[in-house]
Amino acid sequence: MGSLSYLAAGYAVFWIVSFVFIYSLVSRQRSLQKEVEMLEHLAAEEADRQG
Amino acid sequence: MSTKTILADQQKTGSGGFSWGLALSAVSGLLMLAALYMALVGAPDAVNLTSPAERAAQRIFYFHVPAAWIGFLAFIVAAGASLMYLITRRQRWDMWALASVEIGVVFFAMVMLSGPIWAKPTWNVWWTWDPRLTISTISWLLYLGYLMLRGAIDNPDRQARFGAVYALIAAISVPINWVAIRWWRTIHPAVVLPGNNSAAQGEFGMSADIRNTLLFCLFAFTVFYIMLMYHRINLENLKRRVDTLRQQILYR
Repeated sequence: MGSLSYLAAGYAVFWIVSFVFIYSLVSRQRSLQKEVEMLEHLAAEEADRQG
Repeated sequence: MSTKTILADQQKTGSGGFSWGLALSAVSGLLMLAALYMALVGAPDAVNLTSPAERAAQRIFYFHVPAAWIGFLAFIVAAGASLMYLITRRQRWDMWALASVEIGVVFFAMVMLSGPIWAKPTWNVWWTWDPRLTISTISWLLYLGYLMLRGAIDNPDRQARFGAVYALIAAISVPINWVAIRWWRTIHPAVVLPGNNSAAQGEFGMSADIRNTLLFCLFAFTVFYIMLMYHRINLENLKRRVDTLRQQILYR
């Protein structure tokens, strides 16, 4: 490996791991947000039905 | 506590945070870019290293050390939050502990991957069973075990209680890891304080420029950790809101 290859590989590790983690946070947040909206809608419908 | 009260509390904690989260993310992103610039361009070459590969790889140090610092910090925060959970039984502390462990595991993964990349041009091996490296591996596996343990328990109260006790026991690995380079014969450099083991290979002093760059990177990583904690806790809050809503619908 060339003299800069180790440096590039070392920094790639930090940025790739960080981006993967942030992406996982965002995607989990989106899916939970959708689920909350759906469940709130269901709960409201159920409450209306029960009067 | 009634379901309505729990939901209102979760709504309160989870809402109104968007702009703060965005601001924190923006500041953290800028600090990380500045840290990258200082580490790659601003900091001078280490004068005591002979080969170009060693000198280039030494710059991994500016992200490797702060990532390890965040790993330690995250595990200590998790232990503190776990202790608070066991005393108060408040869900908030359990969320703090879980968020902090998850982030700590991610940062330790960076340390475990970047270490061998730095070691190869410096020590001429990717890996050696050095005390610091071995204890770091054990510590990382211990906290992976924490996440697996929580994933294997369905009951939320038991999950929180077992997790809290586990996190307190696992935290013992943090001070042992910290002092490993002073207690045992090791080739890992002592960075933060001069080591008692003056014969340790690879030990080095730092010039003011190198030290200032490291301190800036430590600051940038700490803000990054705070930003990730903010978002991870919000996420956990949302997850618990989903669980509460499900129960509300199922048991109506």
